[in-house]
Amino acid sequence: MSKEKNIAESTKYETFTQEEYMVMKDDLLRPIEKTGKWGKIWIAFLTVIFLAGVIAYYLQESLGKSVTTGLSDYTMWGVYISNFLFLVALSLSSVFMSAVLKLTHFEWYRPLSRIADVISLSSITMAGICIMISMGRPDRLYFLIIHGRIQSPIVWDIIVVATYFAACVLVLFIALIPSLSTCKNHLTNLPKWQLKMYEILSFGWKGTAEQWKILKKTVNILTVLVIPLGIALRTVSAWLFSTTLRPEWDSTNFGAYFVSGSALLTVAVMIIAVYAFRKIYDLKKYLTNMHFDKMGQAMVLFGFVYAYFNINEYLVPAYKMSSLHANHLLNLFVGEDALFYWLVVLFGIAVPCILPMFKKLRKPFTLTLIAVAVLIAGWFKFYLIVIPGLSHPLLPIQDVPPSWAHYTPSTIEMTIVAATIAGIMLLVTVFSKYFPIISVWEVAEGKLEGKEEIINYK
Amino acid sequence: MEKYKYFIATCIMILFSIATSYAQDKEAKIALTFEKADSLFVCKALVTSEGKPVIEVPVNLSVKRLFSNLAIGDAVSTDSTGVASFEVPQDIPSHNGKLTIFAKIVDDENYKNTETSAEVNWGTIVVSDNANVGERSIAAGRSGAPIYFIISSLLVIGLFWGILIYAVLQVVKIKRLGSLDKI
Repeated sequence: MSKEKNIAESTKYETFTQEEYMVMKDDLLRPIEKTGKWGKIWIAFLTVIFLAGVIAYYLQESLGKSVTTGLSDYTMWGVYISNFLFLVALSLSSVFMSAVLKLTHFEWYRPLSRIADVISLSSITMAGICIMISMGRPDRLYFLIIHGRIQSPIVWDIIVVATYFAACVLVLFIALIPSLSTCKNHLTNLPKWQLKMYEILSFGWKGTAEQWKILKKTVNILTVLVIPLGIALRTVSAWLFSTTLRPEWDSTNFGAYFVSGSALLTVAVMIIAVYAFRKIYDLKKYLTNMHFDKMGQAMVLFGFVYAYFNINEYLVPAYKMSSLHANHLLNLFVGEDALFYWLVVLFGIAVPCILPMFKKLRKPFTLTLIAVAVLIAGWFKFYLIVIPGLSHPLLPIQDVPPSWAHYTPSTIEMTIVAATIAGIMLLVTVFSKYFPIISVWEVAEGKLEGKEEIINYK
Repeated sequence: MEKYKYFIATCIMILFSIATSYAQDKEAKIALTFEKADSLFVCKALVTSEGKPVIEVPVNLSVKRLFSNLAIGDAVSTDSTGVASFEVPQDIPSHNGKLTIFAKIVDDENYKNTETSAEVNWGTIVVSDNANVGERSIAAGRSGAPIYFIISSLLVIGLFWGILIYAVLQVVKIKRLGSLDKI
């Protein structure tokens, strides 16, 4: 009786033609069926970099951080923390390039949402690894949990990173359930273990009306959840700085400043990822010029919001130029780090605000070039927040060794940083080789022009 | 003559040093006495040399603190009776009320450096109010976190993890519905 009822409901909701659906399935599932020579070389290349990072970490822990890193009493955080901030920024892709668009009914989110979710999960995984590497011995995480104070921002950070990671896993894999069922039914030329994996992870998905209802409700709840969670994650990262005794970090602007920077970087990373998938997997039909046009507009919007918070962060204290800030600010504006700083302002703020305003520059290739510049500048921006900030302590200690005032990351540190970046690309690539990188059901649903209907397919 | 000027200058400097060292060869002794005059605490340093009072010699007064001495005012020169008088502040903190006062003659033209000290019961005993040490506060240790902070943190954490657990249960429900559909 129950079966009959479900079939009846399923049939009732079938409004997407079988032919159209088959073409779409073929297009979107094709990347899973075969991996070309260049794909294998790319995966091998990323794996080698990642393994080099594992070896570098082993060396760091066996020889000691004082020998293998450029860290000192002043610059006690270094490139690991600036890279951690960058990775956390990327992990908000799910918030800005999926959840917000979805909840505000921007229909063009559909082919982008899974790419954003995968980037988020990969980035937060590597960010978690990065913060552990920064702490040194891994057992310190255990001691932090056992002996940590709930009043400490470090403990909040651990809690919010773990919670956001769990939310990213659920957001990605629950929305993936119908697609896995599609993979199981549609892809037959795959190894048995892979088909078995699809069967297990599709959790007995039959596409009944009841299942759809539960799935959509759960996905919606999680979509709402990741927004405050992502903003909390980013804000807690900012508070780690605000609650540390450094004049240039002692800012109530820091939380919003970090969140706005993340929004810009998530657009940049999405443009690059969408361009790559469109090109490599031949998905031009689904990742269209319209998406680049929209993402270019989003880049301008987030660029201006970020510029506003930068003005609050730098120009307002510079206008006052109190003795507390003068040392650090003059160093950035006209001192040792000036060239570095103004290049970051140019490529990280001015370029995303101005260039994508021109429609011609919102084409896939040109916009991707802009996004690459913004992303690289974004990485260096965090470096400029962390390193010169640490080099100018609130209470200078007398007779410090000159080496303390300067920090240069060691080869070990840079290898580990490269490994975390390669790790993100490796996770995203491997994911796209085993799972559909574009959500088949969400795109198909979009064809119904937002009607409150459920598509039945198996 | 030009070539000898450095030699002459050096000789003059050596002679000056010898003269100065002989001039500073005199020894002085300092004796400290403490008096309460009206509402003031006064410390008097009597400077004598070979039993006679020494006049016009600057004396520095200081009080011992944890790491080094804290100067009490500027240096005061001895008067015609060989006495330098200092007013000692009445609010200098001390553990037990005792202060160790030092009087020094430093870099005088005629007298060698000398120093003496004496204890006086003029310190203000500091009573630390440790009543709040055991109180719960943001600055306290792990076990001393404020109750409102623990409750609000647990509520927020519980809310988020509650929703995540709910989502997992929904997946279990989807699986169960799939199994029912097989039957």
